Order: sequence, then structure tokens, then C-alpha cells
Amino acid sequence: MSAQNPAVEALGVAVAARVPVLLWGAPGTGKTSAIRAMAGAMDLPCETVIASIREPSDFAGLPIVVGGEVRFAPPAWARRLAEAGRGLLFLDELSTAPPAVQAALLRVVLERAVGDLTLPDEVAVVAAANPPEQAADGWDLSAPLANRLCHLAWQTEPRAVADGLAGGWSAPVVPVLPDGWHAEEILSRGLVAAFLHVRPGLACAPPSNAAAAGRGWPSPRTWEMAARLMAAAGIGDEARSALIRGAIGDGAGVEFLAWLVEMDLPDPERVLADPASFRLPERGDRAYAALAAIAAAVAADPTPARWTAGWQVLGLAADTAPDVAAVAARVLARCRPGDADPPAEIRLFAPVLRDAGLL
Amino acid sequence: MPEHGIEGLAAARLWAATKFPYLATGVFGAQVIADPGSGTLSVDESWRMHADPEVTADWTPAQLGSVLIHHVCHLLRIHGERAQDTGVRPDEAADWIRAADAEINDDLVPAGLELPGRPVLPRDLRAEDGLLAEQYFAGIRRQAARAAESQARSGPWLDWLDCGSGADGIPRPGQGQGSEGGLPPWQADLLRRQVAQDVIAHGKQPGTVPAGLLRWAEEVLTPKVNWRAVLAAELRRAVAEVSGAVDYSYRRPSRRSAVAGPVVLPALRRPVPEVAVVCDTSGSMTEDLLAMVLAEVEGLLRALGLARQVRVLACDTAVAPAQRVSSARQVELIGGGGTDMGAGIGAAAALRPRPAVTVVLTDGYTPWPAAAPKGMRVVVGLLGEGAPDAPPWTRSVRVEP
Repeated sequence: MSAQNPAVEALGVAVAARVPVLLWGAPGTGKTSAIRAMAGAMDLPCETVIASIREPSDFAGLPIVVGGEVRFAPPAWARRLAEAGRGLLFLDELSTAPPAVQAALLRVVLERAVGDLTLPDEVAVVAAANPPEQAADGWDLSAPLANRLCHLAWQTEPRAVADGLAGGWSAPVVPVLPDGWHAEEILSRGLVAAFLHVRPGLACAPPSNAAAAGRGWPSPRTWEMAARLMAAAGIGDEARSALIRGAIGDGAGVEFLAWLVEMDLPDPERVLADPASFRLPERGDRAYAALAAIAAAVAADPTPARWTAGWQVLGLAADTAPDVAAVAARVLARCRPGDADPPAEIRLFAPVLRDAGLL
Repeated sequence: MPEHGIEGLAAARLWAATKFPYLATGVFGAQVIADPGSGTLSVDESWRMHADPEVTADWTPAQLGSVLIHHVCHLLRIHGERAQDTGVRPDEAADWIRAADAEINDDLVPAGLELPGRPVLPRDLRAEDGLLAEQYFAGIRRQAARAAESQARSGPWLDWLDCGSGADGIPRPGQGQGSEGGLPPWQADLLRRQVAQDVIAHGKQPGTVPAGLLRWAEEVLTPKVNWRAVLAAELRRAVAEVSGAVDYSYRRPSRRSAVAGPVVLPALRRPVPEVAVVCDTSGSMTEDLLAMVLAEVEGLLRALGLARQVRVLACDTAVAPAQRVSSARQVELIGGGGTDMGAGIGAAAALRPRPAVTVVLTDGYTPWPAAAPKGMRVVVGLLGEGAPDAPPWTRSVRVEP
């Protein structure tokens, strides 16, 4: 097995960043054992609470009378976690918990408050659930509870199961959060803020139907979670994508990720002002996007100076990606300002254009 | 870019990007790797193409470019994943690839794709244009079964390229997901959406993009929601909000009172709600669709343990008496003519015991009451394409077959 399940890695990051996380998956696929193994690997005491067989008072505290006043006594598992000062609270079977229990869980999940007791900040909250259509008597998660969790889809790979059965299950690898990720969080919050300026409609978009309400959806709280997870997960890997989409939902998540990719492209106006600074992105489709944006910027305002600068950029790209640059060259050739001389770079593209039968 | 050793690749990509500008992002996003001796140009699910330089040397740039476009379409239409979902066995992979090829080629060959050899078209599979690979594949399976019975297969199939794991989902040796390079699934997903956006943008000028590709792009950007899942969630939610208005009651003390000393704890009580189903029986309804949705509603309610509480009302402008039914087949559609669902909802509210949840199944061409009936949740199933919206006080689900 080359790499571990991306969901395990995402789970590890969320636990390490202390963001409440929920694993969705079919029964019997190893969610519970993965979570316990992760707690073991991180050396965190793990308390398992099956939400579906509990009453609301188990999470809101059992009222007792002490000296004429009613206190809400926390159950033993909460006391043990509070005494340890750190740990992992594992809420199993969350989707089969009746609505009243889900309501009682609201404060536990986000604020770690159980009755009169507040669990230490170092306690991570992890939950697992079966999709309502697969659970014995499933309820959809209520929208407020769903909004407090990062939702990860748990998928099993047949190959990993075969390897695990034959050779034993490997212990999960604990992801190491990048150094100074707390400082990074300021940066990722800035990115989220910039995105929300462009797409204000996504700042808070409660889902319209009940099925979608039980999963992640964009709200100020989940955007904050997404920014935190983004900083903790480091750059550009599978786990980061899963965590962002899990926190704010698939629709908003994909738009945000696509926007991040676009942010990496060079700004056409800056490139045209200083063509020598241009670096061609390595991936073909991004190189195409960058050059097409530059050609479009020239075509929108074709002054001789900008036109010549555009050709200089294409000349730099012609060596590594002649085909990509030639597509942009055709756009430039069509918008030649009347008094501009044909640039020297145009000759670079003649061979490839001729081969393609376009001359 | 690291790929080298394939002559004419740049010209081929330039041809493809010029001829099919709406797929340019996809063409440049795929990585082409020289793979001498493979005897084909195949594609894997990580957007890598493995080309045998000897095979591609015989092709013109237009032909190589066409194969690149063809393979990009395999990736865009996620044929690999769909093959796994369809349950294609390794010995059927060649059949699946032909079906997938037909799905791509029916649109793009008329648009100017110049594939080498003789590409598979729907008419080669004795099917019409514009279907999905799954439908072509089912046709091939049927034909193969018939051919096996009569002991004679209808002649050798045309040999075309082995399109690779990107087309049939069956991993090839040395091309696994783990090997370096290639796009991880989430990046492939983003790239697919980017191409879909390009296709839509180009499609704004009529006549530039094949209709099949436009349909694909629209489906990627606004995926169709499965009405069964939404209906199930709405019903569960409606029932949960009524039966889950789990009230604290002092009529029965809590079982935990023993530990609470002098404090009297309330116990939870869970009322079991009554459910009524109001069916539109006007002439504009289709019986098959209604029967299907009714069966679905019934199955859902049975799963919630509420099957006994269901009463079904048939309604057009007048309301037929409530029928207590045990299966969808027993519902008689007696009406015809005009429709007023307000009458149906009113009749449901008048039932005793009064239903807490009412499910209305209609085509939407009906007047509605101005406000919600008191103390009753209404879930509306809007049947058929283009049904008008239900009023905002209902929870509505569009059912499109």
C-alpha cells in the first residue's frame, strides 16, 4: 500500500487542529477502529459515547440538588477527560441519535460544555455516523449540529482491505502539522475573506432541502473552521481539499478551491508591465490559462506597447510550451494595432503552426 | 513540461486547441508520456496519456490531436468510474470501451474529429445517437447474449485503440494511481469543472459546441439531485419534527428519578404522528409516475414505522373519501378535469385523528391555500418536468423521472 486512506489523514489533521469532525460511512467499514487507532497513535485518552442510546440529560448534565440549588452533574466520561486535561471524545452513531439528543449535543460539540463542566481546550471531538439511508433508524442531522462539524466521507478501498486482512492493519500515520501553522491561519483567513468579497452570496448559504442540511454548508462559523483547517493541512494535497469541502460543503468548497487555483496565476497587467518577470506555470492547463489571460488583456486594450510586451511573454514561453503559446499567439496576431511592427517572436511559431495545418 | 519523444505532439495539441477551443484546457491539462512498445495511445484516470511513439508517428497532427480530444472526453465523462459502477468485468472491458467511444464520437465526429482508422459510432452498435455509454453497453450485452444462443457472433468487431484505464476503470500494470505525476482525484475534479465552464462559455454563441457536450457541461455544473434522497429526507424531517417534538412530560416520571433525590425529572414521550397522502387525480397526471412516487412514499413511511397510520385521499376539484390502503396498487385514480389541492389539504385536515404530516403528490397546476393549515406539515412532491413551484410554506421536492 503506497499511501494511507486520504480520509485518515484528513481525520488526523482535524484532530490535531482540534476542529470537531464527523466521519460519514457505511456500517462495518472501520470508522470506529480508525478513530480509536488515531487516538492511540496520538497518545490521547479516548472516551467513546454512543449518542443513540443516551438521553439529553447525559449531555446537558443530570440535575441534582446540592444545598438547595440544582446543579447539572456531568457523567463520568466527562470527568475523566477533564481530569486528564486532554483527550479525544468520540461520539459514535451520531445520526441515529433522536433530535432531542442532537439538540443537547450542540454545546458539547462546539464549546465542549457538558452540564456545568467545561472540557479543556485540548479535548478533540470526533463523531461517526451512518448515512441516514443506511442506518437502522436514521435521522438526518439537524442543520445547526451539521454546521458545527467538518464532514468527511469515509471510503474503503478494496485493495487496502485485502492488504489489511492478509497482513494486519497498519497503524495510522499521525500527520505532522506544519511549523507555525497558527501564524498561517491569519493568512488563510485573509484568503477566505478575499474570496467572500468576490462571492458574498457564499458567506452564509443555508441549504434549501433537508438532505443537504445534514451535511456541511457555508456559514461564518464553517468558513472560520475552513480557514483553520486549511492552515493546518498545509499546501495542495488531497486532505486539504477534503477538509475544506467537508467544512463548507461540496458546492462552496469546489468554488473556493477553484478560486485558490486561479489566485496562483500571474496577474496579466503586472506581467505586461514587466514581461521579463514572467514564469510559465508548470502544468499545461495552468500555462494555457495564464497565457490566454494575458492575450485577452492585450486584445481588450491593444496599444503598441502592450502588444509588443505580449509577444515578449509568448517568446519566453515558446521554448517550453510552443503549442500553448501558439494558441495565444493566434489571438495576438488578430488584434495587431495599426502602427505596430511585426515582432521578431512571430517567427518562433511558424513551424508549429505549419505542422498543425493552420498557416 | 517533461513530456518529450513524441513527434508532432505540439502541432497536434495546437490543432486540437484551435479546432475545439472549448476543450483546450482539458487538452493542455493532460500529460503525455512516451511509452514505447505499448502499441497504443491510452489514458489513465490521473489525466496521463501513455503514447507509443511508433504508433503516433504514422498519424498526422490532426489525427493525433483528435485522439487527444477523444481521450480527454473519456476523462471528462469519467468513463473509468462509470465502468466500475456499471460492474464491467475485465473480459467485457473491450465492449465497454466501444460503448464509451460511441458516446463520445456521435457528437464529435460530426464536429470535425479526424480519428485514425475507423472509430466506433452508435450505428456500428445498432443503436441511435445521443445515448449514454451505459445504454450502449446494455445493448451490446443483449446482442452478445443472443449471439451466444445462436452460436454465431455477428462477425469480428472493428479493432480500434485500447483506450486504457481512463476509459474502462481497469488498472493497467505500471500506470497505477500511486505512481508519480498525474493529477490527484480532487484536482481532476476541478479541471473537469473548468472545462465545463469553458464549454458553457463557448456555447453562448449558438452552433459552436455540440449539443451533447453542452448537456454534459450543464450536468457537471448543476448536477441533478436524486429526488428519492430529497423526498426521503423531507419526509423524515417532517415526521421527526412532529414525532421528534419529543416533549418532556410529568405524566410519567423519568426512570432516572431514583438518582435525582427530591427533583422530579420529566420523561420523554414520543407521539406517533398520523400521515395523510393527497393524490392529484386530474387528467394531466401520469399514472406510472404517480404509482412510482406513491410506492416510494409508502416504503419510506414503512421504514419510519408509520405504515399503519397512512391514509390516502384522491382529489381533483372534489375529494373522494379517504381510502385506507396497504399498497400503492390499491389506489384508484378516479378523478379527471380540473384540480384544487386546497380542497385535498382541507379534507386531510378534517380527518380524525388529525394528520400531523400531509404529503401532496401533484403536477403543480393547481390553486393552493394562502397559508399553511394549522398544526400540520405539508410536503409536496411536484411530479413531472416543468411543474410550477409550490407555495413557500410547504417543503417541496421535484420528482423528475
